[in-house]
Amino acid sequence: MKECPRCKGETRIMVKSPVGDAWEVYVCNTCSYSWRSTETPNILPQFTLNDEKIANMQIIPPIPPLKK
Amino acid sequence: MAKVYHDLRSFLETLEAEGQLVRIKEEVDPEQIGAAGRAAADSKSAPALFFEKVKGYKYPVVTNVHGSWENHALMMGMPKNTPVKDQFHELNRRWDLYPVKPKILAPKDAKCKEVVIEKGINLFDVLSLYRINDQDGGFYISKASVVTADPEFPDDFDKQNVGTYRIQVKDKDLIGIQPLPFHDIGIQLSKAEAEGKPLPVAIALGNDPITTFMASTPIMYNQNEYEFVGALNDGVPAEITTADLYPNLYIPAHAEVILEGYIKPRVREVEGPFGEFPGSYSGCRLQCEIVIERITHRENPIFENLYLGLPWTEIDYLMALNTSVPLYKQLKDSFPEIQAVNAMYTHGIGTIISTKVRLGGMGKAVAMRLLSTPHGMAYAKVIIVVDEFVDPFNLEQVMWALTTRVRPADHVSVIENCPGMPLDPSSVPAGMHSKLIIDATTPVAPEPNPRDVELLKPHADAPKWAEYIKKYQNEQN
Repeated sequence: MKECPRCKGETRIMVKSPVGDAWEVYVCNTCSYSWRSTETPNILPQFTLNDEKIANMQIIPPIPPLKK
Repeated sequence: MAKVYHDLRSFLETLEAEGQLVRIKEEVDPEQIGAAGRAAADSKSAPALFFEKVKGYKYPVVTNVHGSWENHALMMGMPKNTPVKDQFHELNRRWDLYPVKPKILAPKDAKCKEVVIEKGINLFDVLSLYRINDQDGGFYISKASVVTADPEFPDDFDKQNVGTYRIQVKDKDLIGIQPLPFHDIGIQLSKAEAEGKPLPVAIALGNDPITTFMASTPIMYNQNEYEFVGALNDGVPAEITTADLYPNLYIPAHAEVILEGYIKPRVREVEGPFGEFPGSYSGCRLQCEIVIERITHRENPIFENLYLGLPWTEIDYLMALNTSVPLYKQLKDSFPEIQAVNAMYTHGIGTIISTKVRLGGMGKAVAMRLLSTPHGMAYAKVIIVVDEFVDPFNLEQVMWALTTRVRPADHVSVIENCPGMPLDPSSVPAGMHSKLIIDATTPVAPEPNPRDVELLKPHADAPKWAEYIKKYQNEQN
């Protein structure tokens, strides 16, 4: 399977075109980046990801404490 | 009585009849739709684009439905060449008709339920999804109306929310969503997550134009969007029905597509980037996910989506007058002296207020009031206050006020450490900001105004000459 063009993670086929054999869509199991087989992903350097960047991402919205 | 639309299709017919819809009959690659959306935004009178055939998909796509002042006027049942200021005043008039109770249709009478999908959910079977801007992290649904209820008061219709939030498709039955803490949905989500419970959602796509317009209008938490839809349709009630899985949620009866599901509690996964309304990409963040459990749709559903890019594009028309009018109403409740509010710039990040000034310093106080409205608290950042005789929609007049009324040492204030709009790239950290207030009103007592001046006034005969010029121009045309 193809490597994620954004975080180098493992990917899978998300879906094939509902009509004909026109394209399929791939999605990354780690960062959810997705792209169509008819596209050529060109991720700008500032948008590439790795484990460290993901671990330091802002959480939106914050998760509230559980009520007891 | 203004013309009223109860679904997207009837509005598209009007747009086409008025020359405000371009029909693309040839098959297009899905990723061409964003490119065409940009071109539509830049073109004369910015028509809607209807793509009949999208490669690999079953159903058509329409974009730029709200993307011009012409379409905005037609949405309100007004002539397409109606000036913006006249649209503002008409919107103001209709706003006061709130609340107009909606008409609740039995599910069997709701066109949004013509086709039901309960198993094997696949969003791509129903929606012709595509990447809008090339660095987006996936295919986005950019123009959905998301319906949620307050978990503490699940049957309170007034507290129900209909809002527009960006949605990233992450799988055939999984989407990411961006509820921000200050959004109504953020309040509801926080309550559900504190209990460790999922938040049910119904997502309506391809709605009548006023419902979509209201979904992106900042109103008070306990005001219901559908009751405003009836008001903005000049008193004609909105037609709504109940969702199937979550019957306490009310959905537009004739939407093209309804997605039903729930926000996974206490889960955040990578979302983004997405080209956002400030004209730049928001980075990746850890955000919520929604599991789709059920889809209903009309026969041959139309996927309505919007392009957004460097302003102005379609999204700017969906947060222009409908940001200005509610802020005007909220401010005027506190200060009857307020004349008009222009919050058309980047969803009110830039706002101009026109007011009479009762006492020294009131211009600044009015700006503070804007900063204490639910929308202004986070969004409003650059606030200009002008005298009542300055038209805030006329930027030449506003610049005159800035250049001749302001003493920078006294009338410019920066307020630090306030809430900010996280998508504004100058907000650091995202969600915090300072605020700029420029009080460009003329000082009144007790504020000293030692160099009071007499303003130039038009000659008494100027209107006569205006008529003369207008008549001449009409004859030339």
